[in-house]
Amino acid sequence: MATASYPMDGVAGQVKRPALAEYFTWSIDHKIIGVQYIVTSLFFFIIAGALAMLIRWELMTPEITVMADGSQYNTLFSIHGTMMIFTWIVPFWAGLGNYLIPLMLGAKDMAFPWLNAFAFWLLPPSGFLLILGFFIGPAEAGWTSYPPLSTIYSPDGQTLWALSIHLVGLSSILGAINFIVTIKNMRPPSMGWFQMPLFAWATLATSIIVVLATPFLAGALTLLLLDRVAGTTFFDATSGGDVLLWQNIFWFYSHPAVYIMILPGFGVLSEVLAIHSRKPIFGYRMIALSSMAIAIVGFTVWAHHMFTSLQPELRIPFMITSMIIAVPTGIKIFGWLGTIWGGRIRLNSANLFSLGFLSLFVIGGISGVMLAAVPVNIHMHDTYFVVSHFHFVLYGGSVFAIYSALYHWWPKITGRMLDERLGKIHFVTTYIGFLGTFMPQHIVGMQGMPRRVAVYDPQFQDLNVLISLFSFLLGISTFFLLYNMVVSTVAGRVAGANPWRALTLEWQTTSPPPAYNFAGEPVPFEDPYGYGTDASKAYLDAMESRFGPSPGAEEERRPPSGALPEPQPAGD
Amino acid sequence: MQNQSLLEQQLGRDAELNLKNKRTGMFVFQVSWIMAFVCIVIVNWQLRFSANWRPAGTPEASPLIGIFATLALVISAVLVWRAVNAIRADDDRAFILQWGGALALGALFALVMVYEWLTVETGTQYALVFRLMTGFHVVHALAIGLYMALVFRNGARGAYHADHYWAVEAGAKLWYFVLVAWLMFYVVIYWV
Repeated sequence: MATASYPMDGVAGQVKRPALAEYFTWSIDHKIIGVQYIVTSLFFFIIAGALAMLIRWELMTPEITVMADGSQYNTLFSIHGTMMIFTWIVPFWAGLGNYLIPLMLGAKDMAFPWLNAFAFWLLPPSGFLLILGFFIGPAEAGWTSYPPLSTIYSPDGQTLWALSIHLVGLSSILGAINFIVTIKNMRPPSMGWFQMPLFAWATLATSIIVVLATPFLAGALTLLLLDRVAGTTFFDATSGGDVLLWQNIFWFYSHPAVYIMILPGFGVLSEVLAIHSRKPIFGYRMIALSSMAIAIVGFTVWAHHMFTSLQPELRIPFMITSMIIAVPTGIKIFGWLGTIWGGRIRLNSANLFSLGFLSLFVIGGISGVMLAAVPVNIHMHDTYFVVSHFHFVLYGGSVFAIYSALYHWWPKITGRMLDERLGKIHFVTTYIGFLGTFMPQHIVGMQGMPRRVAVYDPQFQDLNVLISLFSFLLGISTFFLLYNMVVSTVAGRVAGANPWRALTLEWQTTSPPPAYNFAGEPVPFEDPYGYGTDASKAYLDAMESRFGPSPGAEEERRPPSGALPEPQPAGD
Repeated sequence: MQNQSLLEQQLGRDAELNLKNKRTGMFVFQVSWIMAFVCIVIVNWQLRFSANWRPAGTPEASPLIGIFATLALVISAVLVWRAVNAIRADDDRAFILQWGGALALGALFALVMVYEWLTVETGTQYALVFRLMTGFHVVHALAIGLYMALVFRNGARGAYHADHYWAVEAGAKLWYFVLVAWLMFYVVIYWV
């Protein structure tokens, strides 16, 4: 039976939020840097989202009507995809990790605070280089930038594109080194590897992928830049170069990059679903180790992006590895289902987005397995089916997890709760908007509508109009979140230290945490997901007596609406 | 008095953790950045199947020069290793001699590589990749060599001793990285 262990000194009361000006300066505080990452990535998310709206506006008709020409349309989806991946999802996770990892481990800061700040400050110039491209002719070769499109046929903005991604890559590597060292060396003595929060496991797995894969991207970009500005011919087939060289190197990074974008989301789900179901996580070790399995197997699947250009004898091995990687992902999904099964599920905004993730990501996963099959892949290649698949994974997966994380940890970061009513409106509009946008894309894709074109067969127009209308709803839904963030930060309900009565260490300090996070050495509870035991209740009560009651926790104590009164007081 | 002692203990623990972090960080960085070199080996591997790789009659780089450069680098790495041991034993004179010797051999290696880069017959994919590999590597050797020169200067002023030599250790580890990266390139460029 679990025994209670109590935190030592803490800081009672409310800690003042840092002044706004601090977020615009060089700071080595991981919490400031975390917020800097998060806000910067949200800024680029809005720009990239606006580009998506323009794409959908253009696709309301089968001819070019909004854009001046096809070239201009090319720039839309190229910069949209690049920004969403490199300046929104990837840096958002870096920001959340920055904020949470030291707190979850009971550390004062990251291992290398100066390096941490440096890694962040590479991000704004990177994003602005992408934007700068619009003034000199932006990149047109898609986010994948295959030569010769990216070498011969793209304007000078493509050079800025490569420089921009170089900066993000360097930023990612430096950040990942920091995460790995922090997680390995800075856990408290009583926190073994298997007492670590699953978000930390996910961040560790992500960081391992980043340090091993991103140098490949750096290599590919260097060759691309040399071809563009120094007259080399690495990708020029007429001079003995090879366009497939780019595809191999690029995808050796970029398929693992999919896991860079989704693994932290898996970590978020493990936290949110357990806490808001008030149940121990189901299969902790399997979930933790499956992250590492994904990190390893993720390096063996890159060529499934090249089935149409790959030597036929290599297709089957890559098909098999691509299917195998569904296994560790499936283990996680069963783990999460087992966690919520029979739990006291709180349908708050954080949990709704996690449950939404679960439903949508499974669809994206299934279409992924379909695309891993060579015959299906060749048929669906470069169609809207692929667009639908990766949006189910990256929007239905990563972005839903990001939203869930924001609702869940916003109280810790700002000391204020996000408004639940607005949060639920945000969830419903996002979910409906998402499904309406991306589900029909499976159909037009299967019927043969190619991606990356502004002019399409008129037979697809009706569905495209429907898709566009839902996409506008999806675009509008984001403003509920942005409005909620602004209003709640100013006048939201005070959260208190631990509004969710969670067991992980980031909640065992004030909201927001003080400088250096904890006064004294925090002592973690022996099981970060040991909800429902007397020991965990005693631990949480001890914390509450130290930091004062959290207004949010009162909500947690109430039984869910429609549920029968419970025989016990709040289960912890 | 007791508070003073507790503070000293805490500072000692912090310094220990700091050093541990630096060592782990250096290791992770090395593992990460060697992948950039692996990437270039793959570039070599894939492009050597192209038609314009090395048309008949194209002269190859001389393995003899390669061996000479590699030997210089290997000996310099051994000297670096001995220099680190010397500073651990507080033997400043041996440290300076061996570190200086390593720097001189490193400079010799870089000179040979620059010569190779400048004299390879251009116009083929082979030459392009040869220049990419030697150029990429020598840029690393020069940057790390510059850092080692700074360590040499500080070492000559007595900045390092047995309890304080992280800068030396870091320089040594980076130089080992240069060696490992070169050995990989050397085999691919001159022998495979």
